[in-house]
Amino acid sequence: MKQKLLTNAEIIGILLMGFVALITGGWSVVILVVLLGALVGVNVPAQPGAWRRAVLPGLISALAVVLVTVFHNTVIAGLPKQEHIPPASTSFLVYLGSLGLGTAVAVGVAALRSAPDPRVRRFGLLGLLLVCAVAFPFFEQYAQLFWANAIIVAMIFALQALGLNIVAGYAGMLDLGYVAFFAIGGYTIAMLNSPQFNLQISFWLVIWIAAAAAALFGLLLGAPVIPLRGDYLAIVTLGFGEIVPIVFRNLNAVKIAEPLSELAALVFGRPELALCLAGCVEPLNITNGTDGINPIGRPVLPGVAFVTGQYIPWYFLILTLLAVSVFFISRLRRSRMGRAWVAIREDELAANSMGIDLVRTKLAAFMLGAMFSGFAGAFYGSYVSFVSPDAFDFSISVIVLCMVILGGTGSIVGVLLGGFIIKVADLLLLDKLQVVLGGVLQATIFQGIQNQGMQNFLESLFNASQYKLLLFGIILVTMMQFRPQGLVPSTTERGH
Amino acid sequence: MPMLELQDIHAYYGNIHALKGISLTIEKGEIVTLIGANGAGKTTTLRTIQGLIRPRGGSIKLEGEELTKLPAHEVNRRGICQSPEGRLIFPRMSVQENLEMGAFTRTDKDGIARDLERVFSLFPRLKERVRQKGGTLSGGEQQMLAMARAMMGSPRVLLLDEPSMGLAPLLVESIFDTIQALNQQGITILLVEQNARMALGIAHRGYVLQTGEIRLQGDAAKLRDDEEVRKTYLGEG
Repeated sequence: MKQKLLTNAEIIGILLMGFVALITGGWSVVILVVLLGALVGVNVPAQPGAWRRAVLPGLISALAVVLVTVFHNTVIAGLPKQEHIPPASTSFLVYLGSLGLGTAVAVGVAALRSAPDPRVRRFGLLGLLLVCAVAFPFFEQYAQLFWANAIIVAMIFALQALGLNIVAGYAGMLDLGYVAFFAIGGYTIAMLNSPQFNLQISFWLVIWIAAAAAALFGLLLGAPVIPLRGDYLAIVTLGFGEIVPIVFRNLNAVKIAEPLSELAALVFGRPELALCLAGCVEPLNITNGTDGINPIGRPVLPGVAFVTGQYIPWYFLILTLLAVSVFFISRLRRSRMGRAWVAIREDELAANSMGIDLVRTKLAAFMLGAMFSGFAGAFYGSYVSFVSPDAFDFSISVIVLCMVILGGTGSIVGVLLGGFIIKVADLLLLDKLQVVLGGVLQATIFQGIQNQGMQNFLESLFNASQYKLLLFGIILVTMMQFRPQGLVPSTTERGH
Repeated sequence: MPMLELQDIHAYYGNIHALKGISLTIEKGEIVTLIGANGAGKTTTLRTIQGLIRPRGGSIKLEGEELTKLPAHEVNRRGICQSPEGRLIFPRMSVQENLEMGAFTRTDKDGIARDLERVFSLFPRLKERVRQKGGTLSGGEQQMLAMARAMMGSPRVLLLDEPSMGLAPLLVESIFDTIQALNQQGITILLVEQNARMALGIAHRGYVLQTGEIRLQGDAAKLRDDEEVRKTYLGEG
């Protein structure tokens, strides 16, 4: 059989990374060739001598990214209103080095994957991943990429996606109001570690309280609904996701009356009968309404400063949380409980006949999913130091669900990847694309159009970030059509 | 004391009175078959025994122990395992994982390993495909897997729902041979079948179900000779 020069996955990878290189340029080339090299290395069949087969595709793909970067640095960077490209990044040595680095990563990953010793395979790849993950923030800072915020938020969302994956991916339940637990986590830390009530409970304790609170609400919501069949859960969770932010919005002027006297007041139509218990003179302000709560306490660790604008501590904290969660969830998936979840997803009736308690098992999945979301919410609240009802709208539920579907329901690696791709595209790439498009407009059409109104109209027409939801929609439809099992299908999905 | 005893069981689907007072007994070590046309209530009877449908009246007893109000997972724990109609294997789990799910409630590792060997010796085909996904097996293999999975629960009573459904005649024979072999190992079996001829061929006793009621009952040999059974269910004379 004649071997193709590049496989489909490699071509798609080159197109994607090439596109990112086209709109970013500068030092990003180093990161992009590493990512693409890893993709090529993973894509080569894991058999002895695989590294030799990775050389050529590795070289070609790295070359493609480097060439596109050169194009950005020379042509696009010269357009009006473009971001600054550090001069050091445009030297020939950087290009040559990136070419070598990309190829080396491709060959290295392929060699590690096909190593005869399973320990070398496992720890070699993990080690490589660790080196890249640790090196990234320092490189990012040196290269002035300004990617760190997007990556940290992407990791917070990836943590959420991992949790939703337990509910939707393992146990097969559709939760359309997942943002509710994120909001509960965020507001828990906002109330327990902020000037709102003058409480300063340590971040390290509060994230657990937030997770527990979210799990508790998961139990309270799930217990009555989960025993029902069909799509009731989807509808109820959808409602819950809407209600929770509204409750937080309205808990800013609360007056509590003694219930019996309040009833009497209602029955006799005499409001003065109601005995006021709290908030009598001035209504209680619990959540500060639409204004939200700010500032929220940061983690305290000796010798490390968790402040806005200093991304490296945050990065390593969320990276650790994510790694621990991945370890925990992959153990959970292989446990008795995890097998029961998958059995229920596969066939409820059969699972029930095998002795699996449907309600208890599903409820456990629902609570655990809620817990991870609460965890992520607490971290998010502390990171942005601000929560408000508007930060937790329905679109977050949808985006997290998109991450799970894009990556591959039931697959940890897939869900992480899906989370990263969507959030990085959302927070980073669309902005960069907009800058580049704006520059292109300035340099081409605007030369011929002097009318300011027309220019404004065209600029807003090509405003990439307003097409965000359209983009997610296109991604979802395309995935459903061509790859319903997701980018990295779970092992239970493969070969089916 | 009978192994399994149903007394005057009434079950409903919504307002439809599906079982109108079913009473039947299964003695230890027997194969009892439940035959009848489509919609007679055979599968409903099995699901009611399993606890998947809650009866509105009557009682179900396993060696004298009341099962009537128990949920399905508790019924399974007490030793009633089912190979359900339409097989309902877990399509995206491997054969091995499917079999492990059958032993979900058991904690005796040695017993599970022994039973795994036993079902592999009964169904050598499954041993060959142990890593294959359940959904990629042929119809006959899926049926074997469903039966083997039920066996993994170490059942006191094995409920088989239409094991011959959709299978080629040759395969049907081998499935029935296996059922007989299981029974000879001492397993009590309640066999629901549309293929009345084959079912009555291996069963000790049988019940004929018609629109939710027991129409006839007796020794399998006697039922085989019964005028009405021959006419209606065996397609003779």
